[in-house]
Amino acid sequence: MKELYRYRDLIWTLVQRDLKVRYRRSAIGFLWTMLQPLLMLLVLHIVFSQLFRFKIRNYAVYALAGLLFWNFFQQTIVTSMNSLKANATILKKLPVPLAVFPIATVISGLVNLLFAFVPMFAILLSTGHQLTWALAYLPVAVIIAVIFTLGAGLILSPLAVFFSDVIELVGVVMMLLFYMTPVIYPKEIVEGTNFYWAVRFNPIRSILEIFRDPIYYGKVPPFDHQLLAAGIAVTVLAIGIVSFRQSTDRIPFYI
Amino acid sequence: MSDPVIDLQNVSLCYRLAKQRNVSIKEYLIHFVKGALVYEELWALEDIDLRINSGEVLGIIGPNGAGKSTLAKVIAGVMKPSRGKRKVQGTISPILELGTGFDFELTGLENIYLNALMLGRRRREIERELANIVTFSGLGDFIDAPMRNYSSGMIARLGFSVATAWVPSVLILDEVLAVGDVRFVARCQERIDSFREKGTTILLISHAVQMLLDYSTRCLWLEHGHVRGDGDPKSVLDEYAVAMAPRLESVPEAAED
Repeated sequence: MKELYRYRDLIWTLVQRDLKVRYRRSAIGFLWTMLQPLLMLLVLHIVFSQLFRFKIRNYAVYALAGLLFWNFFQQTIVTSMNSLKANATILKKLPVPLAVFPIATVISGLVNLLFAFVPMFAILLSTGHQLTWALAYLPVAVIIAVIFTLGAGLILSPLAVFFSDVIELVGVVMMLLFYMTPVIYPKEIVEGTNFYWAVRFNPIRSILEIFRDPIYYGKVPPFDHQLLAAGIAVTVLAIGIVSFRQSTDRIPFYI
Repeated sequence: MSDPVIDLQNVSLCYRLAKQRNVSIKEYLIHFVKGALVYEELWALEDIDLRINSGEVLGIIGPNGAGKSTLAKVIAGVMKPSRGKRKVQGTISPILELGTGFDFELTGLENIYLNALMLGRRRREIERELANIVTFSGLGDFIDAPMRNYSSGMIARLGFSVATAWVPSVLILDEVLAVGDVRFVARCQERIDSFREKGTTILLISHAVQMLLDYSTRCLWLEHGHVRGDGDPKSVLDEYAVAMAPRLESVPEAAED
């Protein structure tokens, strides 16, 4: 921990590098972060207004609230899972505390998430969705999501070093999770089906909902939901810290 | 002066080789269930006892695969010994390979920050030394160009400039003075001399016998992960040359066939 604090400037520089390298060669730079969810929304709008018709008021805001969290979660899991492998040459040659790499990817994911809030508010305003004080709860939801994702990154990044097929496996699991989480569909449609329990006990749904409650439903999530989401996030982070510490010494040998 | 800067006690390091390395989870589970998780072990270092004092320049020589780079990694703190104790006092500046810690998409200047931060420096310290680092590297206007446009000599120069911008307690140079032009090597040597005067302990890994003779105050001969010689550079290097001689002679014979 003390070591990591000493390297805080490095973490911040890695974040800047991530963002710079990502945007330097693209013509419209940071606009991409904001445009991407909008374009995705457009696709969803076409698909769901033509193919599947959900009876849901202001579907754009419903889906966007879900996608905001999901895109952050999914992209950050993938980059942080790969972060140790991607920096193999460094960690084999320099005595850097290894946790800086997954941590930096989660922070750059967070920066991207904050940028993605801009188009979300644009959609909220342009569709005439009611803005409420519950939106002030969002920073708490963001913190819970970051803790959860960081924990998952700390669990997965050493595994990706030790086992060659983890990255592929996680790709498949993420797809499964996407359908197990009511990101783009209303969760009512699974009620009464065999799939219901998979959605009901999906921890990612719990975290998604504390995002969606303030944005879409205009309410602060019920206290027990908040507690559950925070509990899940902190548990995952605790597992992440313990497992990462135990594997740190072995990582340079396997990479 | 009583405490050595580097203190290794019975240090051994084992690599678990190919068989079970980077396996898939499926294979791992199958082997695990069968109880057949056998590892092919390679002991790169075995029972190394080494104490190095402040201001010593330790030359390390040995054939390929002797464990020289592994020893450097253990001292640098990159790899933890499988057995034994490692103690190193103060700051370590390892150059185990030139170009490590650089991002070739970024400019030289941005990489100075990145690389120095990885060596454990703070941003403020780097800002203070920035001008000196750029001057020493001799890169001029190239410092603002992306590093993917650099030649290997330029990468080497920048790497050395950053790693030696601050006087470390321990400087580790693993075969890194081989690149770079004559002028730059001369400046590197000047800097190494000044470090030695300030009490830096220097580890110099090289196959260049003459360089080791010129620089080392002490020489270590490694072979198969064991210390075969340790002491006065002249006598260790002479012994090494004698031991290596038959192997060298056998090469041209084979080539004549």
